[in-house]
Amino acid sequence: MNQTPRMLNRVMLGLLGVLLMAVGGLAVLQVVPAVARWWHAVAADLGRSIDGLLERTTLSGQQDSWLWIVVALLMLLIVILMAVWIAAQGRGRSGTLAQDYTDGEDGEEAAGRIIVNGSVAEQALKSALLERSDLVNATVTTFEFGGEPALKVKVFPRPGVSPHEVATEVTELVEALDLMVGRQTPVLISISAGARARFTRVERVR
Amino acid sequence: MSERITQLTQRVVRRELHSSRAAPSIAAAVLISAFCLYVMFEAALKATGQDPWLVGPDQAAGWVGSLSDNVAAAPLVGAGLLVFIIGLLFFLNAVLPGRRARHTIPNPRTAIVVDSEVLASALARRARVAAGVTGDQVMVTVGRRAVEVQVRPTSGVPVDVEGVRSVVEDELRQTSVEPLPAVRVAVAPSGVIGQ
Repeated sequence: MNQTPRMLNRVMLGLLGVLLMAVGGLAVLQVVPAVARWWHAVAADLGRSIDGLLERTTLSGQQDSWLWIVVALLMLLIVILMAVWIAAQGRGRSGTLAQDYTDGEDGEEAAGRIIVNGSVAEQALKSALLERSDLVNATVTTFEFGGEPALKVKVFPRPGVSPHEVATEVTELVEALDLMVGRQTPVLISISAGARARFTRVERVR
Repeated sequence: MSERITQLTQRVVRRELHSSRAAPSIAAAVLISAFCLYVMFEAALKATGQDPWLVGPDQAAGWVGSLSDNVAAAPLVGAGLLVFIIGLLFFLNAVLPGRRARHTIPNPRTAIVVDSEVLASALARRARVAAGVTGDQVMVTVGRRAVEVQVRPTSGVPVDVEGVRSVVEDELRQTSVEPLPAVRVAVAPSGVIGQ
């Protein structure tokens, strides 16, 4: 329910994968003499054209080409982009559950903005869920999903508890919360086997 | 309003059932960053006319250009295969659907996803009670399309296979996961003594 850029992840992983496969494949094929000879010729050609390029871009009086500065800056740019990409993973947490705004122009209502903080729902749901003995733990977080606030309720039932019972009862709690807040938000209920349930289970599962 | 929520809910469920590939993405980004940082460093040294740190660009290019002369065949093939396999892993991560071991329970108000482990654990408890055995004797495997229940009976006490199957199917129907998996019950030929 977070805003991880999934399409970007797939495209980037695919590109890097193809690149690494090509490099690895080429390295393995060097064992074949014909491929090795071909690679020698290609590399020599490429080296000559790069040398020519570097010579043409060397300013008079300078030792080396200014292209090296461009290369260094380009690498720096890529590193920054990679950092941005990492930071984009798992983003989307927010603190607002609902908000309303009126400018008061129709004369009947006062101008103002109301914001219901996400911790209202988080604490209300969490305290209700932690009273239950069939749950080991529960976490509630507010996200912004599709431009709208949304709730993620993650519950960790004890081994052997029927998920449909947990699901119906958590849904009832969510409906009660709808009445309390006065508006509906998208809710995700994730019934998951936490680490504690995993270590104490008797049933092996896939 | 309500229709918008249904729409968003469906999107949430679809996202939750598939991996976001965050971990391989971070690994890829770190890998690319490390490489680029090194190249940046060497390029900066070259640009300022200093001696190279580890390998200068000319030297590296020459080494790669005549790779088969510089490295013996066995290490070359090994390293090449390693790089190829790492690349294949990244590529498969990108191309495969990346389904997670989760099921969804349809609900008009909320998006509900259940880990297969939770479902398996609930099914195993019902099966255990129906078969009259202890927890160690029942193993449940939940896949996307099939649920496999393996029972090791107590020696001398027959297990009612149909009873176990109907109980597991009943629990699945009550849970109403989508898609509804088929149930297979297997009773081990040898029993367990002294349970």
